[in-house]
Amino acid sequence: MSLWSLLLTPFVKNAFYAVTAVAFAAGLVGYFVVLRRQAFAAHAIGHIGFAGAAGAVLLGLSPMTGLLVFCLGAGLLIGLGGASLDDRDAVVGVTLTAALGLGVLFISLYSGYANATYSILFGQILGVTVGDVWLVAALSIAVVLVVSVVYRPMLFVSVDAQSAESRGLSVRGLSLLFMALLALTTVVAIQIVGVLLVFSLLVAPAAAAEVVTRRPWRALVLSTALALTSAWVGLFLGVWIGGPVSFWITALASSSYLVARLGAGWRARAALAVSA
Amino acid sequence: MSVLSLRDASVVLGGRPVWQGATFDVAAGSINVILGPNGAGKSTLLKAVLGIVPLASGEIEALGAAPRRGDAQVGYMAQSRAADQLSTLTGRDYVGLGFDGPRFGWRRDRAKHATVQRALELTGTLSFADRALRTLSGGQRQRIALAHATVFRPQLLLLDEPLAGLDIAAQAEIVDLINLVRVNTGAAILVVAHDLNPLATITDQVLWIARRQIRSGPIVDVVNERTLSELYGHPIEIVVTPRGRRVIVGLEEEFAHPHPHGHDHSHEDAHEHFAEVYDEVIR
Repeated sequence: MSLWSLLLTPFVKNAFYAVTAVAFAAGLVGYFVVLRRQAFAAHAIGHIGFAGAAGAVLLGLSPMTGLLVFCLGAGLLIGLGGASLDDRDAVVGVTLTAALGLGVLFISLYSGYANATYSILFGQILGVTVGDVWLVAALSIAVVLVVSVVYRPMLFVSVDAQSAESRGLSVRGLSLLFMALLALTTVVAIQIVGVLLVFSLLVAPAAAAEVVTRRPWRALVLSTALALTSAWVGLFLGVWIGGPVSFWITALASSSYLVARLGAGWRARAALAVSA
Repeated sequence: MSVLSLRDASVVLGGRPVWQGATFDVAAGSINVILGPNGAGKSTLLKAVLGIVPLASGEIEALGAAPRRGDAQVGYMAQSRAADQLSTLTGRDYVGLGFDGPRFGWRRDRAKHATVQRALELTGTLSFADRALRTLSGGQRQRIALAHATVFRPQLLLLDEPLAGLDIAAQAEIVDLINLVRVNTGAAILVVAHDLNPLATITDQVLWIARRQIRSGPIVDVVNERTLSELYGHPIEIVVTPRGRRVIVGLEEEFAHPHPHGHDHSHEDAHEHFAEVYDEVIR
């Protein structure tokens, strides 16, 4: 089969639609993850989702149901318990380990094949069904719409919570909303890259964008563009060369951060050389 | 004209009275320094004026009405903005958040650029407004924070420890800037501070919190050794420099008269304060 006809098969097309939707949500939400220094929470929510998915499989439900319940629950718990920076890490860490423990229990109780577990951990991009695509697209569109409406207040509380509070914004409300957005994005991204690699799509493009530009608006656009590029090129390389698509996506997203850092270092040295 | 008045106001936090029976007025265009030991409720006073902390009893009237959170005519600069040191945001964007940060939705305001520009000009921050906050010095960051708090030219401006962590030169710059803001906007300004010395020349009224009471007085009535000793909870001496400037100095116990109020919990703060003032004096 030629590359072209391979790219036009239904499972590659479905994968293309799904990664596109996920990259939009992850690129936008990821920027706020980086800005709010909540990478650990983003990491934890994915792993907590694993317990939910394993539990759902054990009960004979769709893994997606378990993912949604656990990720949203964990997001709200972290948002409520860790509103202040002081104890945020502890709250996240304890929630994370408790959930991972449950996940281990659920898997040991589940006597069926381990395929479901494997796909939750590493993603199953080329096994995405039309139904999955619709669900992923709907969730992503919801995330993108909400982010675009709350963009300024979210930026404000992320940068200066006290001033934002004095100007009438609810810091706790926006913090909970952010965790809910993060949880939803994580759920959709897990469909593509899996629990272990969800972090790469959420954090790497946004971190690279923050290195490249200081303007929030540009960083949001660049972060989304990098997430999209990583997802599209990763999917293409996976189909063309072979190997797991989630590996390619992760490799590209991480490389974009590396390149951004190297570029920033080079630019700083160039500026020094000019001024010297 | 009074732009802020408290009548028999008290605040209770977590079942513990913070201060009570507070009655004072703040005149338009005046600079008011709030002093008191750590934990006395200085920041709480600002938050009560902002409408963030509710009163347990009594009344506050700010700009002719009960405080309501989100009033753009009351500017506020919080004490430590932890994100500043990490933030890759530019000063201009941070000041911009003072303009439309609280606003949801897509609509953009055309007046934003000009309004932000005016705030940057007033605070003398144009030359570094387009650099990331984390690359700025402490004094530059405070100037940007002042621009952020004054973007709507508020008539009441609340500054929580604007001089904390700054060296003497930067402190003097910020003090000049606070005065400039007062002159330019006519705002009444409340400044929480640990040390009256750097602010003394621009201060009209001193508010001090001790033993759950807020007391107030014009600065000329306050700067005498007896009142200041009581205010700081530590023996105080006023030293006149060769150039005629009066400097407030904390005394070591061995030089002091018998402590007027015995030892209370504010003793340690007063000692810290003493060290700061002493350093300033020997330079």
